[in-house]
Amino acid sequence: MEYTTVSVWCRIIVTWAPWNCPDNEQALAQFARIRRYYLTPRRMKYLDLAWRFVGTSLLWFFFGLIGLIVSVFVFPLLYLLVRDADARQITARNLIAAAFGAFMWGGCRMGVFSFRVTGMEHRDPDGGQLILANHPTLIDVVLLLSVLPQVDCVIKEAVIRNPFMRASVTTANYISNFEPADLLASCVERLESGASLLLFPEGTRTSSGRPLEFKLGAAEVAIRAQAQILPVVVDCRPQFLAKHEPWYSIPRSRPHFAVTILPAISVSKLVPGGLDERHARYELNEALVSLFEAELA
Amino acid sequence: MDSDELYSSIKGILIDQFEVDESAISLDANLYDELEIDSIDAVDLLVQLKELTGKKISPDVFKDVRTIRDVLSALTSL
Repeated sequence: MEYTTVSVWCRIIVTWAPWNCPDNEQALAQFARIRRYYLTPRRMKYLDLAWRFVGTSLLWFFFGLIGLIVSVFVFPLLYLLVRDADARQITARNLIAAAFGAFMWGGCRMGVFSFRVTGMEHRDPDGGQLILANHPTLIDVVLLLSVLPQVDCVIKEAVIRNPFMRASVTTANYISNFEPADLLASCVERLESGASLLLFPEGTRTSSGRPLEFKLGAAEVAIRAQAQILPVVVDCRPQFLAKHEPWYSIPRSRPHFAVTILPAISVSKLVPGGLDERHARYELNEALVSLFEAELA
Repeated sequence: MDSDELYSSIKGILIDQFEVDESAISLDANLYDELEIDSIDAVDLLVQLKELTGKKISPDVFKDVRTIRDVLSALTSL
């Protein structure tokens, strides 16, 4: 039996209700009996489901609202106050991390989902790491940017065009996938300049029920930049906000995100030396896929 | 009432009224984590134990109670 948010409301009613006078204890006991009678485990399940639907809707509503407020008020102000482009980029990324952190906090507080990050010590705060993550849900990037602020990432064209997010992602100077030909070069360039770069090697969200499939681009970036790879495994159970699934499809029980940051590994550890670039790319990709699959199993 | 009788009556209350699984109940079972009783239910349990034994565990003592053994020792120490 799980009393979650409903029990919080019960408590509020109990403490504020008019019959909560002299004999508080008797009233509470009576209330507990009434609650046990009406809120059977079966009904609690439906209430929990309904609550998570409301919570998810609220969460997306605030996501849009905060995006709009930030785009219209905060970022113009940032342009006025911070003249230096580098400082502006750092501030913008911190703002994004804070907003995403607020989103995750809100989701956890409302009981829509829960998450846990392990292995933060493997992250190099000085940067230069290629962070590779699998992409099971819509909010992976929200989750990861909230715990790893100041990393670079690739943003799809549609996001840059989105009026809610346009100002923030352009000020944060994320890489656009607008010019596929330049994409690999700019990824390598950012890594070599000492930034950490977050990539989803799948290129899109995982198709559920299909084996993990990484595009070769991420392996190529790793080989060209000879960067340390920081594998981040995102495991969301039960499935939530997955590909081909609308945001309002709410799982039967509360989804939990287990984010595991594995120790950083160098490319040379994963592929034997002496291979030509094409084979090395392929080998590295295979090694990465099996690394993630072992962790997700 | 000695502590064995007390234990079996607590067990009875938990099974009949709180719909706790009998197999989950032991002396060291945690009321809040394992038996999934929350603070409002705990007050009800407290009231029923008071009716049963005529002894009143003060809320301050009950705050520190975690397991069924704690409940028994709180009741017998009075």
